[in-house]
Amino acid sequence: MRVTITRRAPRTTRTALVALTAAGALALTACAGGDSGAMPESDGEGGDGNVEIRFAWWGSDTRHETTQKIIDLFEEKNPGITVVPDFTDWDGYWDKLATSVAGGDTPDVMTQEERYLSDYATRGVIADLSELGVETSEIPEDVVATGEIDGKLYGIATGINAYALVADPEIFAQAGVEMPDDETWTWEDYVEIAGQVSAGAGDGVWGAQDYGFNEAGLNVLARQKGETLYNPDGTLGVSAETVAQFFQVSLDLMANDGQPDASRSVEFQNAGPEGSLLGTNTGAMGVWWSNQLGALSEASGHELELLRLPGESQYERTGMYFKPAMYYSVSATTEHPEESAKFVDFLLNDPEVAALQLTDRGLPSNLSVRESILGDLADADQRMADFMADLEDEIVDSPPVPPNGSAEMTDIMTRINTEVLFGDLTPEEAAEQFLSEVGAAIGS
Amino acid sequence: MAVIQEVARTRGTKTERRKGDGKAAAVFLAPWFAGLALITAFPLVASLYLSFTDYSLLAAPNWIGIDNYTRMFTDARFFQALEVTFTYVFVSVPLQLAAALALALVLDKGMRGLALYRSAFYLPSLLGGSVAIAILWRQVFGSDGLINQVLAFFGVQGVGWVSHPDYALGTLMVLNVWTFGAPMVIFLAGLRQIPVMYYEAASIDGAGKVRQFLGITLPLLTPIVFFNLVLQLIGAFQSFTQAYIVSGGTGGPVDSTLFYTLYLYQKGFASYEMGYASAMAWFLLLVVAGMTAVNFLASKFWVFYDD
Repeated sequence: MRVTITRRAPRTTRTALVALTAAGALALTACAGGDSGAMPESDGEGGDGNVEIRFAWWGSDTRHETTQKIIDLFEEKNPGITVVPDFTDWDGYWDKLATSVAGGDTPDVMTQEERYLSDYATRGVIADLSELGVETSEIPEDVVATGEIDGKLYGIATGINAYALVADPEIFAQAGVEMPDDETWTWEDYVEIAGQVSAGAGDGVWGAQDYGFNEAGLNVLARQKGETLYNPDGTLGVSAETVAQFFQVSLDLMANDGQPDASRSVEFQNAGPEGSLLGTNTGAMGVWWSNQLGALSEASGHELELLRLPGESQYERTGMYFKPAMYYSVSATTEHPEESAKFVDFLLNDPEVAALQLTDRGLPSNLSVRESILGDLADADQRMADFMADLEDEIVDSPPVPPNGSAEMTDIMTRINTEVLFGDLTPEEAAEQFLSEVGAAIGS
Repeated sequence: MAVIQEVARTRGTKTERRKGDGKAAAVFLAPWFAGLALITAFPLVASLYLSFTDYSLLAAPNWIGIDNYTRMFTDARFFQALEVTFTYVFVSVPLQLAAALALALVLDKGMRGLALYRSAFYLPSLLGGSVAIAILWRQVFGSDGLINQVLAFFGVQGVGWVSHPDYALGTLMVLNVWTFGAPMVIFLAGLRQIPVMYYEAASIDGAGKVRQFLGITLPLLTPIVFFNLVLQLIGAFQSFTQAYIVSGGTGGPVDSTLFYTLYLYQKGFASYEMGYASAMAWFLLLVVAGMTAVNFLASKFWVFYDD
């Protein structure tokens, strides 16, 4: 009995196995990258002549909630216009937006960011807002200019941030080191102070978190020396010498133990504000965008302070600048340009909007709106607003919108900085590689 | 005679019924065909077309011929991605299959609580590709993570397993080996198919355990090994999630975990070079298809079908 079973089995087994293997191979190959971003629902007009526009943004749950309230408010004030929310987190946003554009389903109103603005503007995806009549008179001219490319206004800054040094006075005190005077300190002082904090604060506490993963720091140093990361014509404006100097600071900080070793630096970098040196009370200084002060303070539980980056009085001029936190842009192909423009106008200029979102999209770019919320800010945000007000007079100009291809900058910067930290590249080699890779990315 | 008539009758009805079933089958298959055409076939053909264009996702594509394909061979990061992927595939897949086979052999002994163990060992397969595990991995293998704390207990100074360029890829390989559950279950099923009498006969002839394994188990299991090998190779070529999460999407540190699929994704969605990314996807398809073809051809020489 048993023998008959095994004798009959082989042929079926063989055929089945070969077939199964082949089928499995096919199925697996076909499944490559099977998850595509879900397409948002199509827009169009409601039954009763109601105009429907779609607004796309990225952010946290808190932002989604406040934005929904803002949309409700807009709909209340503008009967006949419905705003369809379309939101996701930062990482998914750009994939989703690009896919929507490719599918001919561009959101009518979208939030943009400086590294992407030019990619979308020069390919005709977003409209010239100056033709749509959005009110910008309350926004300082140099802030409006941060959304201009070739004389056309492709995005209007929602608010402003500054790239600044965040310091933890409690850890300075614990280390027995005095807080630096940020109006006069040099890059050399920065290295020295970080080393002192590391030495004084005990094991597992460092002076500073590595700053080399973000090109904004390089831009500040370049500007201090009379250069600029990008020229207005979209070419690179920074010298190899400056780039090398920028990377050398990290090496000096590792040499005097002012910052963690290479592996830890990479890990802290990947851990976001909550897992950073400042967020975990294991470091005294870190370089961040000013709007992150709130998240950092919350994570650390300490009253963190914003300081100017080192070197503001060391070279030719000050290097710090206001960066648009994000922009509002309108689709070039929207069927409802008027309503879209009206919505952008509302977002930028209505004090009730600002009262809801406070500094969540940066310190409001509209000055009278900014004024109106100053009393309502939480401690950290209030300190941020004061700091920005102090900077107002020192800032010389705003850098131009980064050129096409600058979205690759983050990857290039992270990779090269990591190689420098691990000693695989000298700062000079790193500078050379940086200039050639970024040059290739932006096509200059 | 009666039998022949019987067969003829069955055949007859079969063909007749097949005819009648055609429409019904078409109706029932229609949704699947629609899905195949729209979700698989159309994008496939579209990406082939796009691979010959400068498509940016944001603007209409322009035909540029084979530029994307020739460009690959001047792109240093493309070669880095190939190197990383091949290293990953050729090291981690054999290790994974060895681990799966070893555990299947142990579990095949029919111990108590077998179902529990089988599920426990299968669990990593379900979780391994998930985002949560990749994040956990990053913590466990951090400079101050669990692994290094254990090592420190024994006086060994650990490294940053996922943040050091020399170790990150190895850590991801370990993660892949750890997801041996799926091939293990298939091995187990294969082991169950080997008739006990072969072993009985062998042991009467005085063959030891090792001899039995080499002489009976392994040859009879080769179809299963082949099946697992093909599937795991293809799966490994397409690995994405682990590297994406562990490296924060960069393929870092220093491109040491720049999987082919990750680089493709970066090109398509970060650099807006979807044309180039499409060309890369087709190149990968050719590589995987070629590998699989070689695998099938080679299987003639080592896979043993028991007939």
